[in-house]
Amino acid sequence: MKIAIVDDEQHCINHLANLLKPHSADMQLFIFENADDAIIGLEKTRPDIVFLDVQLHDKTGFDVLSSVSKRDFSLIFTTAYETYAIEAFKFSAIDYLLKPVDKDDFEMALQKATDKIEQTQLHDRVKVLLSHISTNNSPKRISVPSNDGYVFLLMEDIVRCQADVNYTHIFTTDGKKYTASKTLKHFEKLLEGDHFFRIHNSHLINLLYVNSYHKDGFTILKDGMKLEVSTRRKEAFIKLCGKL
Amino acid sequence: MKYIFTLMLFSIVVHSSAQQFQMELDSLIKKIDSSTVANQETIDLRNQYIKQALFANPSDTTLLTFSKKTVDLATDLRYWKGLLVGYERVALVYQYSFSNPYKALEYYHKALGLMEKDKDLQTLGWSIYGGIGTLYYEQEEYGKALEQFKKVLHNDKNLELTATANIANIFGSLNQLDSAIYYYKKALNLEQVTNNPTYKANLYSNLSLIYSQADQLDAALASAENSIGLIEQYGIEFVRPTAYANASMAYLGNKDYVNAELYANEALQLSEAQGNVFLQKSAWGTLADVYSAKGEFSKALEAYTKFSVLKDSLNNQNRRVEINRSQLEFEFEKERTIAQAEIDRQSTIKTASLLGGGGLLAASVLGFVLYKRRRDVLEQKKDAEFRVLVADTELKALRAQMNPHFIFNALNSIGDYILKNNNETALEYLTKFAKLMRMVLENSENKSIPLEEDLKFLELYLQVEAKRQPGKFSYHIQVDEALEVENTLVPPLLLQPFIENSIWHGFRDRDGMGQIQITINENQDMLICSIEDNGRGIEHTANGNESKKSFGVAITENRLKILNKQKNKEGRLQVIDLGEQKGTRVEISLPLEHLF
Repeated sequence: MKIAIVDDEQHCINHLANLLKPHSADMQLFIFENADDAIIGLEKTRPDIVFLDVQLHDKTGFDVLSSVSKRDFSLIFTTAYETYAIEAFKFSAIDYLLKPVDKDDFEMALQKATDKIEQTQLHDRVKVLLSHISTNNSPKRISVPSNDGYVFLLMEDIVRCQADVNYTHIFTTDGKKYTASKTLKHFEKLLEGDHFFRIHNSHLINLLYVNSYHKDGFTILKDGMKLEVSTRRKEAFIKLCGKL
Repeated sequence: MKYIFTLMLFSIVVHSSAQQFQMELDSLIKKIDSSTVANQETIDLRNQYIKQALFANPSDTTLLTFSKKTVDLATDLRYWKGLLVGYERVALVYQYSFSNPYKALEYYHKALGLMEKDKDLQTLGWSIYGGIGTLYYEQEEYGKALEQFKKVLHNDKNLELTATANIANIFGSLNQLDSAIYYYKKALNLEQVTNNPTYKANLYSNLSLIYSQADQLDAALASAENSIGLIEQYGIEFVRPTAYANASMAYLGNKDYVNAELYANEALQLSEAQGNVFLQKSAWGTLADVYSAKGEFSKALEAYTKFSVLKDSLNNQNRRVEINRSQLEFEFEKERTIAQAEIDRQSTIKTASLLGGGGLLAASVLGFVLYKRRRDVLEQKKDAEFRVLVADTELKALRAQMNPHFIFNALNSIGDYILKNNNETALEYLTKFAKLMRMVLENSENKSIPLEEDLKFLELYLQVEAKRQPGKFSYHIQVDEALEVENTLVPPLLLQPFIENSIWHGFRDRDGMGQIQITINENQDMLICSIEDNGRGIEHTANGNESKKSFGVAITENRLKILNKQKNKEGRLQVIDLGEQKGTRVEISLPLEHLF
């Protein structure tokens, strides 16, 4: 198995290499210390797993990704505290490790990567990732993990999300329903602030599709759906609706 | 509360047209003195004098003796019309000078009783109903007051304007703004108002206030300008200060800060000259709004401070009046039943005009009530918001202090670990602590977090600390099954300092395995968290000194104090010493809060 580490700090490389040591039996390790080397090196070596640092001198791991044509590896980002990047990883459902990397977290990530779970539809997920990193106002997508791969949905097309124990049903403007293998809380954290609001334990809605609110504690969406607004969320809900 | 500025309203009259009033009063008293023997004319003069003097100086308690003497004289002369008016004057004195609705009502009833006996007097009656209506209004019995004013409106053309204006004021007090606007407009369209600029200016001023309340900013401004136009044209000092205050609010609503500031300052000067504390307070309040809208925050703060001081002094006075009011309420209720029976008996009584001036007075008083109420609501809101802000800031500061506290203690742990172990595992230990620190930083951003998150943090913290000193202690976390951990909110990092205490101090020098038991239960709207260790007990740690509080514990106590104040609930922190070598139990109870 070929594993590549892209990082510009020696101690970080050492730390990762150290963590990889127990798995070194049938492993080939490649190390690239800057973005340009990485772009050429990744094309040439075609690794199975890539550990990619976000900050690489004056460039970023995203620059590397967008310049690499074949994205058929398992990708794991590494970062210390770049909040914007972490957000983007979550949106695109791309795995990441926080530095200093914790051993248990590392083992889990490596396991997923070896199982090639992380390879599924990576190309599309990277596109989602890059769209969130870019500063232009192009419509943003999210990667929705389901039992058989990923679905990529435009955020503005999502009308509402409904909790179903550990799953979440996502309803879109075209009347379709997608079932994601993540909790509603996951989507709440992801979409909160982008016109989305959790009105109830089981409901996260896109405020742009709210039609009306009724004093008896219900809101009606533009598609006619009537949903309960929990009393503790009422005040904040009305306030946010007023702001739109 | 309203009595306070009812009196102030009178004082406006005194100062704004003092000369004119004094001249009239002097000539009246001269006329009264000149007639040695009481006759019908002197009684009429005395009644007229009472009304004028009441306007001039409401705190003049000698008016009561004077008006009662008038009643006696009228009785002696068997001059019933004079007696009727006299009774009404006594009622007015009680109502406005003594703030005594019970006595006022008693005299209104005497007047009504007289009317019943003498049919000729019934034409004078409607103004009495108007007076009773204002009494109800002052008792905040708006429905009953409305009934009275409507009766007056339908039966006495001469009192149509006063009644309409009062009805408008009632709707304003009830916050039925559309109806209030309708009646103000109706009053302004009445013929009586055309040659009464004072009344007109007053109506426009009140209407402006209602428009401001209804957020109809253009209309509010137009009305305010109408009112001020009339005031300037006719020199109507009586309405000027209130109209300026209302205009200032209308300008503020329209973001015309220059004029808003100008009129607030004018209103302030007028009311200062008159010693009208209520209006001063309102003007400072409006000025504070104006300055903060303009971004002149130091001026805003200064204005707000003056506003607060005046408000406090007013509230003290108000409280006294409120007590007085509640004492009277019982008797008043009794009297009112009788009054109602009496009022119902009167079915057909014809027109009379008697209290034209009194009506205007009542309308203005009510306008004031309205203005004050609006300001009061705004004040309370502002006050509450301010308190929340202060408490939130304090809490945030305390949470922020938890971060370095946690980080330095963590560094101690890491150092301790490195001393005892090899590099490899030290690194592992360090990354775990990095993870914990991340959680602390993220959680302390929030006022409250789901219990689930806090438990996750505690679990990891305990794991890491247990690893540092293997065989020193074990832990167990037990959560009430009925608790929805993802839906229950807790302030972040509340328990951690106590657990830290147990680990660092409780088990020091202790032989054998220490135990930490963390229990979280729900009990009648309270969340009960307890941390119990079997260490050496809090009284016996720290060199046997009086238990020196750790920094984290001290902060947590302060946080709980503020949370209690904010939530108005009895959250509690109890540290129980279970005895030497038996351990310590810390119990924290919090008001149960849910996310959904």
